[in-house]
Amino acid sequence: MSSQLRLILAVLFLCVLGIGLAVYKNRSLGVPLWVGTKATSWLVEAKVSFFHGEAAAPVTVKLALPAAAADESIGQEAGSLGFGYTTEAGLSGLKAVWSARQPSEGSHALYYRVRFPERFKTGGGGEEVKGTPPVAESPGLSGPLEKAAQGLIEKSRAVSADTDTFFTHLFLQVAKDNSAQEVLLLRRHYQNVEKVSEENLLIVMGIDLLKLAGIPARLAHGVRLDANIGPQQALPLIEYCDGATWKVKNPAQPNVSLRSENIFVWNRGGVPLLDVIGGENSKVSFTVVKDMIPLDRMNSLRDSPFLASTILSLPVSERAVFRYVVLIPLGAFVVVILRNIVGIPTLGTFMPVLLALAFLEMDLGLGIVMFAVIVAVGLYFRFLLSSMNLLVVPRVAACVVIVTMLMLLMSLISWRLGVRGVLQITLFPMIIIAWTIERMSLIWEEEGKRNAIMQVGGSVFVAVVAYLVMKVPQIQYWAQYFPELLLVLLAAILLIGRYTGYRLSELHRFRNFSES
Amino acid sequence: MKRWWHRWFRTPKELRAMGVVGINMRNARFLLPNNPRRLYQRVDNKLMTKALAEERGLEVPLTYLVVTSPHDVAFMEKKLLAHEAFVMKPARGSGGKGVLVIDHRDGDTYVKPSGSRLTGAELRHHAENILAGLYSLGGNRDHALIEYRVTPAKVLTEISFQGAPDIRIVMLHGYPVMAMLRAATKESDGRANLHQGAIGIGIDLATGLTVRAVHHGSMITHHPDLKSPLIGVQIPYWDKILEIAVTCHEMTELGYLGVDLMVDETKGPLMIEVNARPGLAIQMANGVGLMKRLMPVVERHKLKPQESAADRIAFSREVLKARTSASA
Repeated sequence: MSSQLRLILAVLFLCVLGIGLAVYKNRSLGVPLWVGTKATSWLVEAKVSFFHGEAAAPVTVKLALPAAAADESIGQEAGSLGFGYTTEAGLSGLKAVWSARQPSEGSHALYYRVRFPERFKTGGGGEEVKGTPPVAESPGLSGPLEKAAQGLIEKSRAVSADTDTFFTHLFLQVAKDNSAQEVLLLRRHYQNVEKVSEENLLIVMGIDLLKLAGIPARLAHGVRLDANIGPQQALPLIEYCDGATWKVKNPAQPNVSLRSENIFVWNRGGVPLLDVIGGENSKVSFTVVKDMIPLDRMNSLRDSPFLASTILSLPVSERAVFRYVVLIPLGAFVVVILRNIVGIPTLGTFMPVLLALAFLEMDLGLGIVMFAVIVAVGLYFRFLLSSMNLLVVPRVAACVVIVTMLMLLMSLISWRLGVRGVLQITLFPMIIIAWTIERMSLIWEEEGKRNAIMQVGGSVFVAVVAYLVMKVPQIQYWAQYFPELLLVLLAAILLIGRYTGYRLSELHRFRNFSES
Repeated sequence: MKRWWHRWFRTPKELRAMGVVGINMRNARFLLPNNPRRLYQRVDNKLMTKALAEERGLEVPLTYLVVTSPHDVAFMEKKLLAHEAFVMKPARGSGGKGVLVIDHRDGDTYVKPSGSRLTGAELRHHAENILAGLYSLGGNRDHALIEYRVTPAKVLTEISFQGAPDIRIVMLHGYPVMAMLRAATKESDGRANLHQGAIGIGIDLATGLTVRAVHHGSMITHHPDLKSPLIGVQIPYWDKILEIAVTCHEMTELGYLGVDLMVDETKGPLMIEVNARPGLAIQMANGVGLMKRLMPVVERHKLKPQESAADRIAFSREVLKARTSASA
């Protein structure tokens, strides 16, 4: 049979191609096949974006770089279309400088990436003071404000032994002792008079307090080493001098060292993080990705001719998106197996995959509970709606509104109760859930509640299995670093497409079958 | 031979030995190769099927009205005044979804066979749901079809609770392969879906006599609600029914299909619809694996690809007849 032959050839071709590429990467480029226990390197990308209004004006962009960037062995690169790129070493550290005489009008994005091994994590250790020791300048507080600040400082000084413990106690007081008169007074001043925004309040006030206590202090910036939070803003930190060295700490967590907090110090030395001349609305955001393979292997992989076959050459912010995209085929594969070989009924063919993706980003148990609550309450309202004899599309749209309000309500209630995970509820595919409710109510009316619950239960079951498969670290690793193995998955799906044997559910369905 | 595991499942080997066809097998070996996609619209749209059938001179339930727009819905009731009973169904529905049977009127209300009543507004809302595509394949916009309500032949009403029983004949390459009668029960609420509690009754292709009845997977001999005997009932007009089935194959050109018919008290057998994806429950009703009926047809078709309709029927009646318990 020629179609059979064609299928076998296609399957063989896909397997050879997929496995061949993977073996090549493993043998020649040395990319390990098995996932290590720990992340071996971090990749942090800074994305500078700004708007350029006047076509004729020149633009200069200066971005402070981490001290580690001076180290040649650290992998780093800059991406900049139409801009010249250099680095500038100054007194207070390294800077990336992009410049262009006449860049085109519109939005621009510049990238700087740094890749460093795990052991390198913080970059926030002590840094020896060069030259004359710095002197703290007066913050310029006066009157009752100065008194209040002095009071706070006295309290902290009384319970501390050196600069480090003073720092800890000072910020513990500021943060926790909210009811203290001094803190309230100072807070109000910075809020109302100095117009400092809420998130920067602690930093600005803290630096002034340290200066008043005679400790030189300045602003530093850090990046959270957390691959799950997506693009993030720079985290403001405080750098202070204890006489001999400059140290960096996070005032929000004064008693925790940066290393255990997973913060990478991006720039220190009190220079501004970003300086854009000739552009408007400039901002810098950071994306962090965990690389599971060693740094030198990573470089050879990125420079290999098969670059196109990997997603590793994409900008980091795009790679973070692909982290889940490459898992979707696996979900589809699970659906194929559970439907065509096991024979589990589901509502909507690939709805379980979307559900599984939502589960991936939240706690599974909580996710299932939230799904059940939304569907149950949505179904109740759907039955109320059905007595109004609405047309189909408005009815589903009404369902979408109800589902949305339910999500809002659940988030609010759980926030009050202190269950944080519920905020992730927005990850559920709402339109799909609204349709699920509509379809379920129809099945409920036409075939009875047993069938309706069976099908929704089947969907959740398939989603959970898909979730469990996608969650396996080894599988995530393969999907990310060996995406060519998806060709093998494709071959397997093609083979299942020709499976003519019984589904497991049919063995049960025909259990009473007897020949007459 | 009863084994302990038969309470829960059968092994694939056992099922294969009995010739049971599973969904994957049906799709891959019979549906996909024999039913080209372009032919599906002939059966998925009941209006088109009916038009084709009328061209061939087949008897179908008379169409009273086709509702195609909300405007039609407003005038629908006026146009139906002349008809005491009727059936409303989506033109592209499947599996009996969205079929509404009106048995008679009582003043301004419409009465279903079960006795429950519908107001004019509810009737119009059902038509609007059909138009919006609630019951159609893929949720596309649809038309509502309003047609003659079959009054089943007396022999058949005696074995069905309220709903009209319908006859399903599965065909391959134009050879009738297997037949069954689906009779409603109190539990199935007038509907003929076996998994909702309807009775599947196997019919001998050779004679049109019922040979076996299955309710919820187990064999029965009498109707659970009516207590009437289900075995040995002669389906009326059997010769004609087989002819209609074979003509349906010729007009749709589908290689593998199921033909649904009803036998009217006065008009005789009427073709209701053609199904391009007939289900597998028919095997349970007959107690015969489909493979045992399909393989002889595959062989025959290879041998004589151009056999005439009459010869095909003769072949099916001769070779695929039910083995009676006496001869087995």
